[in-house]
Amino acid sequence: MLLAPVALGLGVSASHVTAQIAAVPLALDGDASARPWRRYPEWPQRDSANFNTLATMASPPAPTEPRKLTRPITGDPALGAKLAADRTRGGSCLACHVMGPAGGADLPGNVGPDLSEIGNANNDDEMLYNFVYDARVYVSDTLMPPWGTHGIFSEEEIGHIVAFLKTLKAPAPFKTELDDPEKRPPPVEKRDNLDSMLNPAMWAVDDKAPALWTTTGPAGSACATCHQQPAQAFKTWAATMPRWEPRLAKMLGVEEFVTRHAKATTGHVWPIESQENIALAVYLRFLANGSTIAVDAESAPAKAAYARGEALAHRKVGQLNFACVDCHTPEGGAGKWIRGQWLAQLRGALDHFPTWRTSQQAIWDARKRFQWCQVAIWANELPPDAKEYGDLELYLIAQSNGLKLNVPGIRH
Amino acid sequence: MPDKPRIKVPKEAKKGEVIEIKTLLAHPMESGLRKDEAGALVPRKIINRFTCEFNGTLAFACDLEPAIAANPYLQFTVRVAQSGTFRFTWIDDDGTAITADESITVT
Repeated sequence: MLLAPVALGLGVSASHVTAQIAAVPLALDGDASARPWRRYPEWPQRDSANFNTLATMASPPAPTEPRKLTRPITGDPALGAKLAADRTRGGSCLACHVMGPAGGADLPGNVGPDLSEIGNANNDDEMLYNFVYDARVYVSDTLMPPWGTHGIFSEEEIGHIVAFLKTLKAPAPFKTELDDPEKRPPPVEKRDNLDSMLNPAMWAVDDKAPALWTTTGPAGSACATCHQQPAQAFKTWAATMPRWEPRLAKMLGVEEFVTRHAKATTGHVWPIESQENIALAVYLRFLANGSTIAVDAESAPAKAAYARGEALAHRKVGQLNFACVDCHTPEGGAGKWIRGQWLAQLRGALDHFPTWRTSQQAIWDARKRFQWCQVAIWANELPPDAKEYGDLELYLIAQSNGLKLNVPGIRH
Repeated sequence: MPDKPRIKVPKEAKKGEVIEIKTLLAHPMESGLRKDEAGALVPRKIINRFTCEFNGTLAFACDLEPAIAANPYLQFTVRVAQSGTFRFTWIDDDGTAITADESITVT
């Protein structure tokens, strides 16, 4: 017997959807991932509890007035040059600015303006100091991290950086065109992501998921007990996820659905981020490959979730104080470079997830990608099944409505 | 469940034909030069040798070095004169041998 998911066509009224979803067996108790959530051991373990996350507000308030300097800046330009290119300080200045000889002009970014000749502008020390300390006192919607207010650089270090800025009077000495972010070509992914010789994530489709599909769980049944012909049954299902689940009062993604539905029907325990869960999440989306992404963002609860997701995408989080939209919209950094990393825009960001990551030698689902985005901007991540991630996933996937699912992807 | 090796061998070939074989093994190919978070060297663990035998006779072999990336992918050609079975063997630094067989019909 085929359960409701496959029967849910598009254009079905919202109340109809809700009524059918209610029939799908789901284990409603407990969480769908490990608690307490512990960060992956190979990731940076810094605790950013003093700063906003997607679930909690904790960052210090923005100052309203520039800080007054009591004496002239007497920093060391050489130390400032070093700090400007310090990769251990959230990427530092060079992540977003070309800055003359700083860091050997090695792959600087271009989200912010080229500062290579800022020393010719005769800015006063106090202005430069405050721009680095917390640029929000001049530009309320700046993308620039509040380096001083958020404690990434000390006052003394900012003095060194200001002293360095004042020495910048000539264009950056790029060694090659690739070092110049204005000339660097955007990355192009040409590999056939569905070739299992090129994309190890395809092994989930070839071997792992089909084996799990027929593995009997403690309840005496397997996926195959009810879903004998998955290729037909799940032709479009994953392209309509995530969707609102009234019994849990949250957006349910493919991964959490697998956890809760498998538990309720087969007894299998396949928490999010387990190898089993990842394999099935890849497989179920692979079966819907070529389907047009069409998530419901119109029914009342989905509309509310979309609005929450949109607000989260605009929330400044972490010690570096970035929102999703700061880096991933054309008004922000999308299409530009953070040092050697190219920033993608929101549309098309999730159509290939879960994806193989060659740099990680692992499959990452969308929730793990969210977690990494946060750790990378020095924020604490949430557990993968957090309701905030559900809202954000809906908002992000809705930006890809109309694109076709193409899973598993392959990316650096 | 360890990942099984991926092998592409044509099912059939003409006598004397040169066929292309592709193999890929899931393996981290830890170079022994990388440091962990604590600054200690991560011990080397690579596939150091690959062989392909046809009906018990060596047809192709190579030594792999630490510079080879994870999941070593090898593509090579052999001339086939008769039907038979290829045996592929990957030798790990720890002495483990991973083997797989593929047969071909030659007409």
